[in-house]
Amino acid sequence: MTAPAPPAPPSYRSTVAGEARDGFGRLLLAEWTKLRTVPRWTLTLLAAVVLMVAVAMLSASDSGSSGPEEKRSPTAQLQIIDLGHYTYLPLAGDGSVVARVTSQDGGGAWAKAGLMIRGSAERGAPYAALAVTPGHGVRMLTGYRRDGAGGGTATAPQWLRLTRAGAAVTGYASADGRAWRRVGSVRVDGLRGRALAGMFVAAPDEVEVRRVFGGEIISGKPGDTTATFDNVAVSPPAPDAAWLDRGGPGGPAADPALDGSTRSGGTFTLKGTGDIGPDEFAPDVTKATLAGAMIGQAAIVALAVLFMTAEYRRGTLRTTFAASPRRGRVLAAKAVVVGLASLAAGLVAAFASVLLARPLLESGGIAPPPVSDPAVLRAVVGTAALLAVLAVFALAVAVIVRRSAVAIAAVLLVLLVPEITATGLPVAAARWVERVTPAAGFAIQQTVTRYDAAIGPWAGLGVLCAYTAAALAAAAWLLRRRDA
Amino acid sequence: MEATIEVRGLRKRFGSTVAVDDLSFTVGPGRVTGFVGPNGAGKSTTMRMIMGLDRPDAGAALVGGRPYRSLRTPLCRLGAMLDASAVHPARRARDHLRWLAHANGLPARRVDEVIEQAGLGSAARRRAGGFSLGMRQRLGIAAALLGDPPVLMFDEPVNGLDPEGIAWIRGLLRSLAAEGRAVLVSSHLMSELEGGADHLLVIGRGRLIADTRVEDLLAAASDGRVELRTERRREAMTVLARAGATVTTSGSDALIVTGPTAERVIELLTGEGVAFSGISAHRASLEEAYMELTKDALEFQAVAGGEAR
Ligand SMILES: Nc1ncnc2c1ncn2[C@@H]1O[C@H](COP(=O)(O)OP(=O)(O)OP(=O)(O)O)[C@@H](O)[C@H]1O
Ligand SMILES: [Mg+2]
Repeated sequence: MTAPAPPAPPSYRSTVAGEARDGFGRLLLAEWTKLRTVPRWTLTLLAAVVLMVAVAMLSASDSGSSGPEEKRSPTAQLQIIDLGHYTYLPLAGDGSVVARVTSQDGGGAWAKAGLMIRGSAERGAPYAALAVTPGHGVRMLTGYRRDGAGGGTATAPQWLRLTRAGAAVTGYASADGRAWRRVGSVRVDGLRGRALAGMFVAAPDEVEVRRVFGGEIISGKPGDTTATFDNVAVSPPAPDAAWLDRGGPGGPAADPALDGSTRSGGTFTLKGTGDIGPDEFAPDVTKATLAGAMIGQAAIVALAVLFMTAEYRRGTLRTTFAASPRRGRVLAAKAVVVGLASLAAGLVAAFASVLLARPLLESGGIAPPPVSDPAVLRAVVGTAALLAVLAVFALAVAVIVRRSAVAIAAVLLVLLVPEITATGLPVAAARWVERVTPAAGFAIQQTVTRYDAAIGPWAGLGVLCAYTAAALAAAAWLLRRRDA
Repeated sequence: MEATIEVRGLRKRFGSTVAVDDLSFTVGPGRVTGFVGPNGAGKSTTMRMIMGLDRPDAGAALVGGRPYRSLRTPLCRLGAMLDASAVHPARRARDHLRWLAHANGLPARRVDEVIEQAGLGSAARRRAGGFSLGMRQRLGIAAALLGDPPVLMFDEPVNGLDPEGIAWIRGLLRSLAAEGRAVLVSSHLMSELEGGADHLLVIGRGRLIADTRVEDLLAAASDGRVELRTERRREAMTVLARAGATVTTSGSDALIVTGPTAERVIELLTGEGVAFSGISAHRASLEEAYMELTKDALEFQAVAGGEAR
C-alpha cells in the first residue's frame, strides 16, 4: 500500500525561468520556425515563384512569335500621346506667354485650347500647359498625365497666362485680362535653358467600348478641335523670331482641314487632332509580364491559409496559445511572418519575370520599359506587396472560417470572380466591381493609365489593404473571444 | 505559492451540456494528484480552463497564484500535455520543440535536454507524422518539460500505452513530484493511477465528488468489511443474509461481507455449521473505492439533474 506521504518538499522553482524572455521578436522567430520546418510550405512558396516566372516567359515568347516587326516609335515606348497642334516662339530663359482664347469648337468635353511652354518640339519633350476645356474648366497640365490641377466651369473666352522661372511654371487665368487667378504651379523636370512658348490645341479620340463575354469591342475616331486666340504676347520678345508650327505626324495631321494654324492680324486660329497625355490604348507590357501573379496568388493564398488552419486541424493552436497566451500578438506575428515570406517570394518572382522576359520581348520586336522606370518599379515592387497583403488577407479569412478548403475557396473566389464577371459587364458596372472588391489590389501592376483602368495603382492596393485590415480586426476579435 | 493550481468555482457550459459545474480544488506541490472521472466528466475542459484556452462562464483558475493568461513566459510556470497528437505531422520532433522554445525565449540547449529527459533520442530528428503513440507521448512530455516548470499537467498520459510505457510515465511523474513540483494527471481509469498518485480529485458530470488522499480513500472503502474464504459459498451467503448482512462475491471462493463484525460472522457461521478456510479484514483496491464513490455520485447527479429540469 501507499507509504505515508513524506512532508511536502519546498515548492520547485524553474531553473530556466531566469533565461526565458518574452517579446514580439521571439514570437516572430517561433512563427518563422513553424513556417520553415514544414517542407511542403516552403515548396509552395517556391512554386509561387516558379509559376509567376513561367507565365512571364510564356507570355513574352508568345508576344514575340509573330516575327520581326518594325520598332515602335519612341512615344509608343513611353506609352504617351503627344499630338494636337502647337504654334510657338523660342523662349531663351525665364519669361511668360499670354493670350486670350476667344473661342473653342469641337473635340468634346476634354478638348484643350491654351498655352504651352515645352523643352523642344520633339515628341515626348517635357512641358507645362494651361488649357481651357469645354467641360472641365481651366487645367494646369504636365508630364503627359491626365486631368491636371484646376477645374471649375470656366470656358472660352478666357485669358490665360503662363510664366516660367527656371523649371517652375505657373499658370493664371482671367475672365477680363485684369483680375488674374492662379490655377496652379508645376516643376517641369528637364526644362532648362532654351525652351519654346506658344499656343496649342488638342483633343482626345472619341472612343466607345462595349463589352461582351470574352472580349470587348472598341470603336473610335480621332477627335479634332479648333480654337482662336488673340492678344498673344511672348515676353521677353524675340525680335527676329518667326512663329513655327508643330502638328501631328503623318495620317490625318497631313490634312490641312484638320491640322494647321492661320493668322490674321493679331488673331490665330489653330486646328488639331489627337491629345497630349497618356496613351490609353498602349499595351501594358510590364503588367502583362507580371500577370503570373494571378496564378502565383493561388499558391500564396493556399500557404497563408494552411499556415493557420493547420493549427486548428492538428490541435497545435492550443500549444501555441499555451506558450503565448496573448492571442492578438500571435496573430500579428503570424501575419508578419507569412506577409514577409510572401513579399520575399514576390520580389524574387517579379524581378525575375521582368528581367528574364526582357530578352524574349526584345527578340520579338517589343522594347519593354526599363526596370528603373518609376512606373515599372512600382509595378514590380507593388506585385510583391500585393502578394504580401493577399497572404495576410487569406490568413485573416482562415482564422475566421477555420477550414482550409472553405478559406482557400472563399479568398480565391473573391479575387477571381470580379475579374471574370467584369469582362461580361457593361464598362461602367465593371469599373465599379474592379474598384470596390479586393481584386482592386491588382491595379498596382498598371504602368500605363489605360482607358479601362478602374482605379489608380495605389488606390487599388489601398482598397485591398482596407479589406485586409477589416478581416484582420475581425480575426483578432474572434480569436480572443473563442475557446481555443 | 509557486507550485500550485487553484481552481475556484469554475463553471463551463457548452450549449445545453454543463461540462464543469462549480468546481473548486487546489493542487499542491510535492505530490502527484490524480484527476479522475468517467468519460465526459469534464477533466479536459477543466485543464483547458486552467491554461486559459477555454473561457470559464464563472470562477477562476490560478497557476502559482496568477491567471494563466497573465503569465509572460508561461512555459516556465506550467508545462502541459493536453493532447499528444497535437503536432504537425510534417515537422521534425526537434523543430516542434524549437519553435516552442523560441516562443518563450528559452535557450536552445533546453531542447536537447528535454529530448534526453523524455528518452526521444534519435527519433527527435524524424518527422512527427511517423511516430508511434508512445513516441508522441514522449514528445508531448518533452514539450511540457521545456520550461522546467514547477507545475505540470498531463491529460490521460498513459492512455493506450503498453505496460512498459505506463511504468515509465508513472516513475517520471513520481520523480517530478519528488522534486517539489505540483503534478496533476488525469485518467478515466482509476486502475491507471494505482500506486501512481498520492492525492485524488474525483469528478463526475463536472462536479467534485472527492478530494482526498489516496490512503484515506482506501481506508474508508475498506472500513468494516470482512473478506471470507469458503468452499460453501451458497450456504454462507444464506446464513449471513438472513442475519441482515450485505454479501458480494469476490473472485472464485471469496465473499465480501458488509455489516457484521468479523467476530459476529464467525459466530454465525459456526452456529450454523458452515465451514470456512479464512477470514480477514478486507483491503479495498483503488478501483473498488472509486466505483463506490462514482456510483453514489451518479445517483446523486440523476436526482439533482431531475430537479434542475
Ligand atoms: N468544445 C466542446 N464543445 C461542446 N461540448 C464539449 C466541448 N468540449 C467538451 N464538451 C462536452 O463537455 C463534457 C466534458 O468533456 P471533457 O472532454 O472535459 O470530459 P473528460 O472528462 O475529459 O472526458 P474523457 O475522459 O472522455 O476525456 C462532455 O459532455 C463533452 O461532450
Ligand atoms: Mg478528456
